[in-house]
Amino acid sequence: MTPEQQAIRQAAKEFVAKKIIPHAAEYDKSGEFHAYLLEAAKPSGIFAMAVPQEYGGLGYGPLTQALVLEEWGYGCAAMGTTLSASILSMEAVLTAGNDDQKRRFCKPMLSAGIGAFALTEPAAGSDAGAGVATAVKSGGEYILNGPKCWITNGGEAAVYVVFAATDPAQGAKGLSAFIVERGLPGFIMGDREEKLGLRSSNTVFFFLKDVRVPVANLLGKEGEGMKIAMETLDLARPSIGALAVGLAQRCLDECVKHLRKRYPAKSYPGETLQFDLADMQIAIEGARQAQHHTMSLREAGKPFSMESAIAKTLGTAVAMSVTSQAMRLMGSHAYTSEFGKFMRDAKVMQIYEGTNQIQRLVIARSVLAPPKAPAPTMKAAAE
Amino acid sequence: MTAHLTEAQQILVQRAHEFAEEFLEPIAAELDRGQVFPKALIGQLAAQDFLGLVVPEPSGVAGAGFVSHVEVVQALSRSCPAIASIINNHALCVYAIAHWGSAAQKERYLPALIKGEKLGTVAIQEAGPSLGNGPDALLATRQGGGFNLNGRKAFVRNAGAADVYLTFATIQPDAESNGVTGFIVDAGTDGLNVGPRLETMGLRACPVADLSFKNVLVTEGSVMGTQNCGSVVATQVLSVSAVAEAAQTVGIAGAAVSHAADYARHRVQFRHPIARLQAIQTLLAEIVADSHMAWLGVQHAARLIDDDAPFEPEAAMVKMFVGRLGSKMLVDAIQIEGGMGICEVVPKHIGGTLPLARMFRDIAGTTLLDAPDDFPDRLIAARIA
Repeated sequence: MTPEQQAIRQAAKEFVAKKIIPHAAEYDKSGEFHAYLLEAAKPSGIFAMAVPQEYGGLGYGPLTQALVLEEWGYGCAAMGTTLSASILSMEAVLTAGNDDQKRRFCKPMLSAGIGAFALTEPAAGSDAGAGVATAVKSGGEYILNGPKCWITNGGEAAVYVVFAATDPAQGAKGLSAFIVERGLPGFIMGDREEKLGLRSSNTVFFFLKDVRVPVANLLGKEGEGMKIAMETLDLARPSIGALAVGLAQRCLDECVKHLRKRYPAKSYPGETLQFDLADMQIAIEGARQAQHHTMSLREAGKPFSMESAIAKTLGTAVAMSVTSQAMRLMGSHAYTSEFGKFMRDAKVMQIYEGTNQIQRLVIARSVLAPPKAPAPTMKAAAE
Repeated sequence: MTAHLTEAQQILVQRAHEFAEEFLEPIAAELDRGQVFPKALIGQLAAQDFLGLVVPEPSGVAGAGFVSHVEVVQALSRSCPAIASIINNHALCVYAIAHWGSAAQKERYLPALIKGEKLGTVAIQEAGPSLGNGPDALLATRQGGGFNLNGRKAFVRNAGAADVYLTFATIQPDAESNGVTGFIVDAGTDGLNVGPRLETMGLRACPVADLSFKNVLVTEGSVMGTQNCGSVVATQVLSVSAVAEAAQTVGIAGAAVSHAADYARHRVQFRHPIARLQAIQTLLAEIVADSHMAWLGVQHAARLIDDDAPFEPEAAMVKMFVGRLGSKMLVDAIQIEGGMGICEVVPKHIGGTLPLARMFRDIAGTTLLDAPDDFPDRLIAARIA
C-alpha cells in the first residue's frame, strides 16, 4: 500500500466510524434509503472516487477503490452497496461511452449524485439476454419500452444505464445500452422492494413507457449491449467482494468483542473457539487477497475475468459463512441484537450482481478451457 | 416418513398438518411483521391436544409421547415456526414438572398446562458464562421457610406470555455443590418483572425478554426436584429442547425446499425451467438429504426419550448437526429463488406465495437460541473419551 492509499483508507475508516456505523441499524430497520448518506459523503467527493480526474473526479485506481469499499462494507454493506452500484453503472459508460457521454454521466457524481445499472427484468435474471425491453429508433431518438426490476439505486439515481433490445430477434446479440437521465416522461417508478438484507440500499422495479432518449445516448454501437454488460460486471464484481470482506471482518470483530465481554476472566478461550475464530480470519484474509489480486491484474492490464468472479464468489461465501458462524458462537445474544443484519446482508450479496452460480459458470469456463500450448523447454529452444 | 407410527400417532400428525394449513399458514406472515403473540391460539392448540404430548400419562391423549411431539412440531413449523417454538417452550416446562416435580406440583400445574389454561416456559440462561457466575446471576437465599430470589434470567422465551416459569437459581451460600436448584415461579409473583421485549431476528410471534427477580419470595414447595441438583435437570431440559428445536428446523427446511422446488419448476431461464439445471437439482438434493438426516436423528432421540433411555449424547449430536446445517439449508433454498428469495414481501409484479426470507430468519432463531457455546461438543466427547 502506498502512503497515499494508506491515507485514503484511514479517511474512509474515519468516515465510516463517524457517519455510517451510527446509522446502520436504524436504517436497516426502516428499510428505506436515506438521502443522509449522500449529504454526509458530499464533502469528501467519495461518490466520484471512480470518476477519472479529467472529468473532475478523484480518479482512484481499482485497488484504492477496493480499500474504500472494504471500509464501507465494514460499516454497512447496504450503504456500501449504494456506492458500489453507482460505480457499476458508471463503469459501463467509462467502458463503452464516448467523451461527451462520460462527461455527462459522471457529472452528477461530482456532487454525490448516484447512478443505476438496469439490466435485470422479470424474465431475465441470470439469463440476462431473455429480456423484453425494446429500443426502437425513430428519427434522432430511441423509444424505450419495457420493465426493469431489482434495480439497485433505481429509485434514487440521477442517471441510469438501461439495457434494451434494438433487435429483439437477435436475442442477446440484439441488446443495446443507453444512458437515461432521471425525470424523463414515461419513466414509471414502481414499488421499492422490501428485502431480507441490504435493506437501506434502494431496490426498485420500474417501467419504461415510450421513454425517448437522443441517439447520442446510445453506448457503443447497437447490439453491443450484452458485451458492455458483461465487461462492466467483470469490472464491478470485485467491489462486491470488497464489501463482503469488510462485512465479514466487522462481524468477526464484533463477535470477539462480545466473547471478551461474556468471558472477561479468560484471557484465552478453549481451543475449539480459538480455532473457529482462526478459521474465520483465514477465510477473510484469503478472500481479501483474492480481491486485491484481481485489482492488481486489472491495474496491470492483464485478463481478470475469472479472478473477478472468484473475488465475488469467495468474498460473499466467506461473508455468509463467517456471519453464520459468528452468530452461532454468540447464540441468543446474536439472535436478539443487531447481529442478524450481518447475516441477512451477506445472504443478499450471494445473489446480486450475478448469482454465485453464474460466477461459477464463468470460473468453470476458465478451468475447463483447453490447455494452452506448453512453453518451449530449454532443450527444444536450443534445438 | 410415517410408516413406523401407530395409527393414533398418524392421526395426530395428520391433524397437525391440517391445523397448520388451515389456521397457521394464513396468519404466519402477519404475526411475524407485527411481532404479535397469538394468545387466542393457545386454547385452540390445547383443543388439538398439542400442549401435553410430551407427557403421555397425565395428558391422556392417544398416541402422545415425544415421538408425536416432534412430529407435530415439525408439521406446525412448516407453516409457522414461531407457534411451534411457543409450544416447545411450554412443553419443556410440562416435561420437567412431570419428571421432577412433586406430587403437589404435578397436581397444581399439569392439568392446567395441558389444557392450555396456563402457558409455561423455562428460564435457564444467564448473562454470565455459566449459571451462578456473573454479576446478574439468579441467586437464592433462605428466608423463613422458603427462599428469596434475586438476579436476572436472560433471553427467556414466552416471556410475558407465560403464567408459569420454571427457572434455576443458585442457592447461596452453598459449600457442598454448585447449588443450582429448580424453582417454579408463577407470573405475577411480587418482585418478578418481565423486561422489555427483545427485538428478535425471527420467530417473532414468540416473545423473548429478560426476567428480573427482586426479592421474589417463594415457598419450599416451589423447589422443583432435589435441592442443588438443578444442573442435572437444566441439562436434561436443554437436551430435550435440542431435539424439539431440531424438529422445528426440519419443518422449516422442509417447507423451504418445497417452496424452492416449486419456484424452480416454474421459473424459466435459459429457455427451460431452472429445475432442469443440474446445479439447481444438486442444491435441492443437498437440502433434502441434510434435512432427512437431521430428521432421522430427531426421531431416534425422540424414541429414546419415550423409552426413558439415556438420550443426551444423541440430543447433542442432533443439536450439533442442525447447528451446522440449519441455516445453510435456507441459505441454499434462497439462492435457488435468487431475487425472489430475498424479498420480505412478494413483489406484486411477480406474484407468488410465501417468502423464504421469513423462514431464513426463523431458522436462524431456531438454531441460535439456547446455544451454550460448547454444549454439544463437550457432551458428545465426554461419552467417548
